[in-house]
Amino acid sequence: MTYKILLSGDGGQGIQLVSDMLAQAAFANGFNISQIPNYGLEQRGGVSLSFLVISDQEIAYPRFTKPDILLIMSEQARIRTEKNKNGNLILDVQDYNKKLEENNIFVKSYNIFFLGRLTKILEEKGVLKKEDVFNLLEKKLSTKMNWEENKKTWELAIRN
Amino acid sequence: MKYNFVDNKNRKLMTGAEVCVQAAFDAEAKMMYGYPITPATEVFTGWIKRGGAYLQTEDEIAAGFAICGAILAGQKAFSATSGPGHILMQDAMSMAEGMRLPFVLIVGQRGGPSSGTVIYSQQEVILSCFGGNGEGLRLVYSPSSLKELYQLTRQAFNDAWQYRFPAIVLTDGYMLKTRGVVSLEELKIENIPPHQLVPEDKVTHWQNIYTFEDDLYYEINSAKEDFHKIADEIAKAEKYLTADAEILLVAHGIVGAVAKEAVQELRKVGIKAGMFRPITLRPFPKKELDKVCGWESVKKVVVIESALGQLARIVRDQLAPEIDVSFEYLQKPGLGIEVEEIVKFVNK
Amino acid sequence: MSDFIPAKFCPGCGYPIALTLLKNVLKKNDLLAKSVLGLDIGCNLLAWNFLPISTFQTHHGRVVPTMVGFKRARNNSLSFALVGDGGAYAIGLQSLIHAAKRDEAITVLVINNTVYGMTGGQTAPTTLKGQKTDSHPEGNPEEPMMGPELLKNVVKPGAFLARTAVNEPKQLMEFLEKAIQTQQAGHFSLIEILSFCPTNWKTSGMETIKYLDEKLKPVFKLGEVL
Repeated sequence: MTYKILLSGDGGQGIQLVSDMLAQAAFANGFNISQIPNYGLEQRGGVSLSFLVISDQEIAYPRFTKPDILLIMSEQARIRTEKNKNGNLILDVQDYNKKLEENNIFVKSYNIFFLGRLTKILEEKGVLKKEDVFNLLEKKLSTKMNWEENKKTWELAIRN
Repeated sequence: MKYNFVDNKNRKLMTGAEVCVQAAFDAEAKMMYGYPITPATEVFTGWIKRGGAYLQTEDEIAAGFAICGAILAGQKAFSATSGPGHILMQDAMSMAEGMRLPFVLIVGQRGGPSSGTVIYSQQEVILSCFGGNGEGLRLVYSPSSLKELYQLTRQAFNDAWQYRFPAIVLTDGYMLKTRGVVSLEELKIENIPPHQLVPEDKVTHWQNIYTFEDDLYYEINSAKEDFHKIADEIAKAEKYLTADAEILLVAHGIVGAVAKEAVQELRKVGIKAGMFRPITLRPFPKKELDKVCGWESVKKVVVIESALGQLARIVRDQLAPEIDVSFEYLQKPGLGIEVEEIVKFVNK
Repeated sequence: MSDFIPAKFCPGCGYPIALTLLKNVLKKNDLLAKSVLGLDIGCNLLAWNFLPISTFQTHHGRVVPTMVGFKRARNNSLSFALVGDGGAYAIGLQSLIHAAKRDEAITVLVINNTVYGMTGGQTAPTTLKGQKTDSHPEGNPEEPMMGPELLKNVVKPGAFLARTAVNEPKQLMEFLEKAIQTQQAGHFSLIEILSFCPTNWKTSGMETIKYLDEKLKPVFKLGEVL
């Protein structure tokens, strides 16, 4: 069993944080993980990618072009990941805009929303436990700004 | 679904750079000289964060020669670099080769030529093996996993100090930046202690330039003999399903790990593939390669690399000339190679 | 080991004078055993077995960073870098400036004979304006470079920078003592030593001394720079 997850968004949207939480929770659940950011010259403002592999096998290679799950959090990211679409499960921010707006979700909390969504999907597959992800999140963000907003966002994403 | 997993206590999430730093600490390295360059910077900053003694020099040339000086004084010192920095480091590496200094260098390959990319390649193979104005009498290790990165970094320090040849751990940007699961506790490796090449209690005069051709010739020959003597012990390869292989995939480093998976996929569709992965590029596991390629079953060798034939050049050079086997090449300079690409290439 | 090893330097060369004076100062202060001399390649490489102290040859322009590494690894040593004007101020300048800036506790001895001696007398950073060399047969168009004065801008308090000449033995020995004390106090020191190169100056006997006194000394001011 191997899941390849490609997370994409604009730099500053919190893509690496989402990847980090999922990786740690899957690791805590006993899985092997491999995680690599795109790193290049576009350190700020460009597209931020994270290649995440979760597997019960040894993982030989951290990169892939055909993910099982693709997260797209921005217009730039949508263009950049064009070649990574292949009938896989796609979570695209443009399909959630209405829901996010209706629920008054802060733009800054969008990554938490998708972290929740991905957590839900991966929990159903037995990859990780949502409590683990939440605990990691709480540890990381509870003393920072907008924690209440982030918590609300998380609950919305996990609920339905 | 139920999975059986090992106890998580001995498993750790680490990046390749963190693995290198851990290995350097465990090898009892005492000093790092460095200059920031992507993708090797985190080996330097990781070492600093953990309290290792260090100096950020004005360039890689200075870092390299400071290491030579430190080694002459008997200190385990090392550096990590990439691409253009690696080119500069070869200046000191050449002195280390000439004076038989146990110089340890971690190389995280990035794209080239020139500034290239800061990301990934396997294009520093020839530079690592034969850089400088010498004969390539140095040890070059090419790990394919985080665990092997740790082991080979430890081994590089040990072999360098035991046999007095410079040693390069040749990895790449992907490996250094990847975070993965490693268990290091189970790996028990004894350290070879350092010794003073310029002793405190005795006057020594060290030459690295000779008045006569014959003097240099003698020095190179004696180094060559030492190198050949240890070659059998140090040269290593991983062989996978080679016993009945008709198509032999040859790849090193991270591409070797991918090739191994490709062999599994090819076997599933009835193609008798096998894999030969040199773990050391210098000395090259020539005898094992000859043995595997010499078997009648092997019809074709496919050399796969993220470079335009740097590994292929070494493989062809090392393979005994009487072995008659055809070659094909999958070459993607500066690009990663995925399992599917290899399967498609072989199964065309 | 015998104190006397026949010199491989050209007849009339200034290097053996500077080296012998260095040995005398070290001997007088009982520092021979602690001393290590790194050599830069260039004529200085011939000093590899000239003195009863440990020596090693490095690469052209690289002796300063090598001694930085050596000294940091063996703090109780007295680490000297012997380097020519080209090694110090051309190919190795970047490292020299940064070693001075970081106040590395090493002593750099720059032999300034205004030419690249070993390769046959090409223009060096210290070549006099108008001086004819192998690489400027019509005469050097540039003004010579002032090494210690340049470094004055980057060194830290406690560093020692000076210039003297091989025919000023008293001053040279005095500066060597000061440089050693500076290193022992944990600071950077550099002495530029004006030296003879009769082979490439194409001078003989007294002419060589006269050339140094009359051509070099008015341009390169002797004394403590800092």
